[in-house]
Amino acid sequence: MKTFRIVVSIALMACAIPRAGAEDFLDRVDQALTFSAFNDNVRGRLSGTLDLEGYYFQQPAPGLILSKSDAIFNPRLSLFFDSQLGPHVYFFVQSRFDRGFDPRDEGAQIRLDEYALRLTPWDDGRFTLQAGKFATVVGNWVPRHLSWENPFVNAPLPYENVTPLEDKRAPYYGYFTGVLRAAKYEYIPVIWGPVYATGISVAGRIGQFDYAAEVKNASLSSRPESWNATETGFDNPTVSARIGFRPNQMWNFGFSASDGAYFRPEAMATLPNGSDIGDYHQRVLGQDISFAWHHLQLWAEFYEARFEVPGIGDADTFAWYLEGKYKFTPQFFGAVRWNQQFFADVPDGFGGSAPWGHDLWRADIAAGYRFTSHTQLKIQYSLQHEKNGPRDFGHALYAQFTVRF
Amino acid sequence: MAFRFKVGEDSGRDFMRVRSLFVSLCIFGAFSPVALAQAVIEGRVELPKSHLAPVVNKRYEIVTKGGVLATSPPLAVVYLEGSFPKTAAPATKQVAQKDLTFVPALLPVRVGTRVEFPNEDDTYHNIFSYSPAKRFDLGRYRPDEKPVPSQVFDVAGLVTLRCDIHEHMRGLILVVDTPHFVTTDVDGHFRLSGLPAGRYTLKAWVDSRTTRERPVELKSGSTLHVDFP
Repeated sequence: MKTFRIVVSIALMACAIPRAGAEDFLDRVDQALTFSAFNDNVRGRLSGTLDLEGYYFQQPAPGLILSKSDAIFNPRLSLFFDSQLGPHVYFFVQSRFDRGFDPRDEGAQIRLDEYALRLTPWDDGRFTLQAGKFATVVGNWVPRHLSWENPFVNAPLPYENVTPLEDKRAPYYGYFTGVLRAAKYEYIPVIWGPVYATGISVAGRIGQFDYAAEVKNASLSSRPESWNATETGFDNPTVSARIGFRPNQMWNFGFSASDGAYFRPEAMATLPNGSDIGDYHQRVLGQDISFAWHHLQLWAEFYEARFEVPGIGDADTFAWYLEGKYKFTPQFFGAVRWNQQFFADVPDGFGGSAPWGHDLWRADIAAGYRFTSHTQLKIQYSLQHEKNGPRDFGHALYAQFTVRF
Repeated sequence: MAFRFKVGEDSGRDFMRVRSLFVSLCIFGAFSPVALAQAVIEGRVELPKSHLAPVVNKRYEIVTKGGVLATSPPLAVVYLEGSFPKTAAPATKQVAQKDLTFVPALLPVRVGTRVEFPNEDDTYHNIFSYSPAKRFDLGRYRPDEKPVPSQVFDVAGLVTLRCDIHEHMRGLILVVDTPHFVTTDVDGHFRLSGLPAGRYTLKAWVDSRTTRERPVELKSGSTLHVDFP
């Protein structure tokens, strides 16, 4: 709770600075970090966010928070470089300095999370080609996954709730008893956050339809280390795609699909003789919908995921969420989210069958306040119920203060 | 209007009426704002260097259009501060969102002016301001939104317009408490005409940190030259 109070106190102190002056200063910083050359044909902009996050929760830690204590402080500096080279070439980089891609209570890292080169040959956006290490085209959460855009502190359930399946070791009969035997970080969710895997994508819009497809080196469920091309090659690529339909600016419907091997090379020794990593795929079907009108925004996503598990068969899971955000005043907003995940039965090794994971639901409620157009404070409470889990209900409190420059 | 002079006993009385009317018009005209508004101020404001073209953040837009955004050259607003008679509500002005920019990028308005924000792009915009002079958020709205979202700017000051969806978009509305203001041309030249005689302060707003001013004394029929180096 002390960590939580520290974040809120820092936020309030920072906001005691005169708003107009702070806003003007950060606007000038923004201008000072913009570069131009060759008659404006080459332009670059350095920007970033500083996030100070505090988490207070009951063990086991929720989602992809990796901590044995009940509270952690997670500062994060994200730096972005966006560059426009003439009218048709765009390049961007995202680098982070934090305590790990997923919040943890030890260590510090500097990472190059994203880098990509995008070619847009036609001005009307009918086709773009992008290569590099970048977020997945699947679903509709990616455009709001960064702290400034996300109404919540954490991600929706499908993006952070680990299943009882590991990617470094194949399971065996009787494995899915619902008890996580290894450290949480050994397990994989349906989609691991924004999945900054490496590869190429094509995308475009034709009338009311838009399309995007990508070939990446790692599956949607893959862990952050797997996203680097130096760590995981393209021997077993994952192919993902999304088709979107936008009848007007208010509505957006999308259908996604993904197929690719999900085991890491370390799992090879545990696979049945004669089989290969590429024989076991994660297949995902996704449907997403979003709506926006004046001060109201709604999003929903539905994911049906199937993991091909050696010696066991198909392990299916269904996860979904509905999220809403409303701006009560120009600076104050609130958000609610309902998340659920269900697990299908798999053979239990004794002639019967049992669910391969614990069904659960989670309710998230958050409030945010933008002190200026560069500073924001969010507070979130989550209540999670897991059937047959370590405990029926889990509570978590989050605070996040963001400075955007 | 035509006056017809009758021949006869009434003609002298009519002549007197016309003469009285003419004299009244002259007296009224001499003190009316129209007649008082004779002075002119012209000059030049030294403008800052051109803004750099913004770089649009396209990281998580699956579909993006090509192109380089147009930039508006820096301009200044010159206005005369003083005590002026109240006039009718100012006419409604517009700041459009077109090609992901505000057009015009700088709009001076008088206190009490209603400004409309038509969306001329084929995507949502969400105009907002956290400026002390006007705090508002129009929410997300479409190009065909009716009525066109608008705000009344009733406090003098600088209002910075932003879009919650397109981070690079910036626009300015300078709300002034005077009917006498003008935007310079791209070379900094300005001309304020129809000004009443008297002592005033002439101000040149250059950017959020720079407003230059000069006391001026205007005489009817005169043209004053003022430069803001």
